[in-house]
Amino acid sequence: MASIVLSNVDKIYAGGVKAVNDLNLEIKDGEFMVLVGPSGCGKSTALRMIAGLEDISGGEIAIGEKVVNHLPPKDRDIAMVFQNYALYPHMTVEENLAFGLKLRKMPKPEIQKRVNEAAKMLGLDQYLKRKPAALSGGQRQRVAMGRAIVREPQAFLMDEPLSNLDAKLRVSMRASLNTLHERLGVTTVYVTHDQVEAMTLGDRVCVLRDGLLQQVDTPQNLFDKPVNLFVAGFMGSPSMNFVTADLVRTDGGGAAVTFADISLPVPESTFTEKAGLDAYIGKQLILGIRPSDFEDAAAANGHSGTTGWARIPARAEVTEELGSEINVLFLIDAPPVEHKDTVAAKDADEDEETIPLAGDKSLWTSRVNARSHVRPGQNIELIVDTHNLHFFDSVSGLAIGHPANAGR
Amino acid sequence: MGRHRRPLFIVGFLIAPVTLYVVFVISPYLQAFQIALTNWRGISANPEYIGFENFARLVDDEVFWEAVRHHGVLLLALPLLTISIALVFAFLLNLGGGVRGGVMSGIWGSKFYRVVFFFPQVLAVAVVGVLFQAIYRPDDSGVLNGALIRLGLEPVGWLTEPSLAFWSILAVMVWQAVGFYVVLFSAGMAAIPGDVFEAAALDGAGRFRLFFSVTLPLLWDTLQVGWVYLGIAAFDGFALVQVLSVDRGGPENATTVLPLEIWKTAFSYTKFGYASAMGVALFFMTITFAALTLRVSRRERIEY
Repeated sequence: MASIVLSNVDKIYAGGVKAVNDLNLEIKDGEFMVLVGPSGCGKSTALRMIAGLEDISGGEIAIGEKVVNHLPPKDRDIAMVFQNYALYPHMTVEENLAFGLKLRKMPKPEIQKRVNEAAKMLGLDQYLKRKPAALSGGQRQRVAMGRAIVREPQAFLMDEPLSNLDAKLRVSMRASLNTLHERLGVTTVYVTHDQVEAMTLGDRVCVLRDGLLQQVDTPQNLFDKPVNLFVAGFMGSPSMNFVTADLVRTDGGGAAVTFADISLPVPESTFTEKAGLDAYIGKQLILGIRPSDFEDAAAANGHSGTTGWARIPARAEVTEELGSEINVLFLIDAPPVEHKDTVAAKDADEDEETIPLAGDKSLWTSRVNARSHVRPGQNIELIVDTHNLHFFDSVSGLAIGHPANAGR
Repeated sequence: MGRHRRPLFIVGFLIAPVTLYVVFVISPYLQAFQIALTNWRGISANPEYIGFENFARLVDDEVFWEAVRHHGVLLLALPLLTISIALVFAFLLNLGGGVRGGVMSGIWGSKFYRVVFFFPQVLAVAVVGVLFQAIYRPDDSGVLNGALIRLGLEPVGWLTEPSLAFWSILAVMVWQAVGFYVVLFSAGMAAIPGDVFEAAALDGAGRFRLFFSVTLPLLWDTLQVGWVYLGIAAFDGFALVQVLSVDRGGPENATTVLPLEIWKTAFSYTKFGYASAMGVALFFMTITFAALTLRVSRRERIEY
């Protein structure tokens, strides 16, 4: 096991396309690091550079304190799981697992022992004599995992290993990946475009965009304290609602954000948490609200009285019932935010906008408790947790008051 | 489409190719079988039937057996040499350079070599024959012997030395065929997913291992196709031997092949009955080879 350190790593393809731009990342020993971002953000390229499958155009990659820039893949002591599994089709499962060990001239009994252990761990015992063609997608995926495990490498590299599985299998494989990592404790770098996978698997998550590192943090911190509009829009499903709003002083001495015909009070605590926010009073900024910070006022009587919850009347255009929760889509009488960051994050998101927008309105999503029973076309009184408002600079798109943005 | 019109539809499609096949393939074969039982010399309107006499004579015909022996050697050597050389070239052209820019690529200059290797394929066989006549010429005007003489060595009778002539011609056959198989195997290699090679590279496979443990087994289907093509080509060789060899199949029948013997027997010695008997023998050899390869090479298909 080892740490992996990327220092000022660049990848420039012929033609000058910069796939990875000055990437600095330290993956600690035993850590599960997820690289996430929309397609073309350079996450796979970064992984393949660690593996040695791509040349490094600039900077340095060290695995276990040894610089590996010029080492061929086989000498880096890492194992990789590919998106399409990349099993050897002409070998049985057993031979697939043993191939890497055989090439390393390991004694036969030791190979047998490791193969059997891995097969048992992954529930592949009864398939050892089969060829990959006779396995299901999930089984092939486990063989690919097994091939990495038997090698007992310094680090696992995984390139979207679950994306070819169906949704249900993906969830269960996600769980087994988690337990596997806990049991083996091997440093893992995991690439995915799926932010749910990133959130559930990663000890830490690294968000990339256009080859540039956006933010590295624990999943919860990424969700609660996104560093900019892109991360805010990319992480979380359904994604964060944005609107261009004015931050103003109210008559009572407090502060509020106003947009459309809505005014949300901003608690004093927010100003102490987000240093520099007071400088925006009287100015425009971009307000972000997570769908999960909404609640149906009628269904959540307890909250409505307490401070910090503001009311927004809305008309439910579309409702998506998820069983335990309902996604209520409603229109806000304000133009959609057209910042380059939100557009980029939206492109990456899988759910498309369902209704064509009428004029200058933006479609917001709120996630309310299923007790709400709201139906499309009904009016609903939503309440918002004003403690969890997110504020972004309308030009730079950076989160206001985020420690990482101080001085930027 | 009505049910009764379905056969009509099928027949409509089949009628042209089946007619052509029957007229130009099946009927000449049947005719050859018939002529093989006669002593026809190409003139008589009513050739005399002599039963299996022609075939009985074949058994004692030294030249015939010499030609058959040549086919035997061709059948082994032509596919073996051509496929081995083509495989090495195709591997170097497509995968030998290792991973570059995220994809497996060939050695430096592989695009140029690809064209060079395919070049013999676009030359007509007769042109190849003439070309190699110049190369094999016995005096110092020949490309090979010119070089040997300049190095102070004795010139070699590439086509006149009975023990060497056949191999000289075989070399030309291989030279001409390799280009096509390089292209065929390149296509086969391109069909193998790149991440399998990457996985092998991570597993610790060098070029040698990559070739024998991954590329070769995954190319098996394509290899079989190549083997069958070349096996059938091994029963031919008419044009090249005709143009290149001394005295058409010489010296002393050292390079002769069955199609050439058939042609000579029929058109030079006007023994059409006997030539047809040879043709029938060749037909059965080819059929046997085809049936054997189809049986032997049957193997489970590789799926990715």
